[in-house]
Amino acid sequence: MDAQKVDMFILTNAKFFESHHVAAIRDRLIAMDDSKWVSVSTIQFKDPTTSLIVSILAGSLGIDRFIIGDTGMGVGKLLTCGGLGIWAIVDWFMIQGATREKNMQKLQQFLY
Amino acid sequence: MSISRNRLYLIIFIACMAGYVWLIMNWLFPPVHHSKETSICLLKHFTNIPCPSCGSTRSLLSILNGNFLQGFYLNPLGYVLLMIMIAAPIWIVYDWIKKSQSLLIFYKKTEVFLSKKTVAIPAIFLILINWAWNIYKGI
Repeated sequence: MDAQKVDMFILTNAKFFESHHVAAIRDRLIAMDDSKWVSVSTIQFKDPTTSLIVSILAGSLGIDRFIIGDTGMGVGKLLTCGGLGIWAIVDWFMIQGATREKNMQKLQQFLY
Repeated sequence: MSISRNRLYLIIFIACMAGYVWLIMNWLFPPVHHSKETSICLLKHFTNIPCPSCGSTRSLLSILNGNFLQGFYLNPLGYVLLMIMIAAPIWIVYDWIKKSQSLLIFYKKTEVFLSKKTVAIPAIFLILINWAWNIYKGI
């Protein structure tokens, strides 16, 4: 794929991924067929900042986990008052990474 | 993709063990009073509003003491927790011995099942009703 398009994609979407994934994503996209550009460029990613805000406000109900698609973990947090409050606090620091991992999984369906 | 078998099992196992330790602690050293000031729940601690699952420790203890109705009255979610806490460790040990991953498959199926609109909306509604009931009871 055109390097210019790929760099544009990286510029706009780098914040949605772990930094160590970005270089690999760029290589993959350049090697990818041009016909997939439309589907790749229109994927909706979850914003890590949003999930952090939700985690701080409603983390003990597990809503942050539900939002990023981790339904099972969300139920776990909901049923235990956010893991007795400990898990809720741990997730304030984990949720941004978890969101980026989820975004990577979403993109991977198109990359491979 | 997504969560790996060992990681999931470890998380569930640690969570269950923490639950048991928490239960035993509350059973051996029952808190003197369950007022709104003494709580581990963050939401209740900061806002004084109980969360949907507040009271499930007391509910579980009542169920284990044989007071099934009181357990239901304190928090119906106690029964859900009881089932998970009994089933999950046995299932993990079974999978571990058999080297299978039936719990992981079940977990993923449950996630898909709970994400369906026809399931999710009633489930959210039930949780909200439980929450309202908790606030009304002043758990």
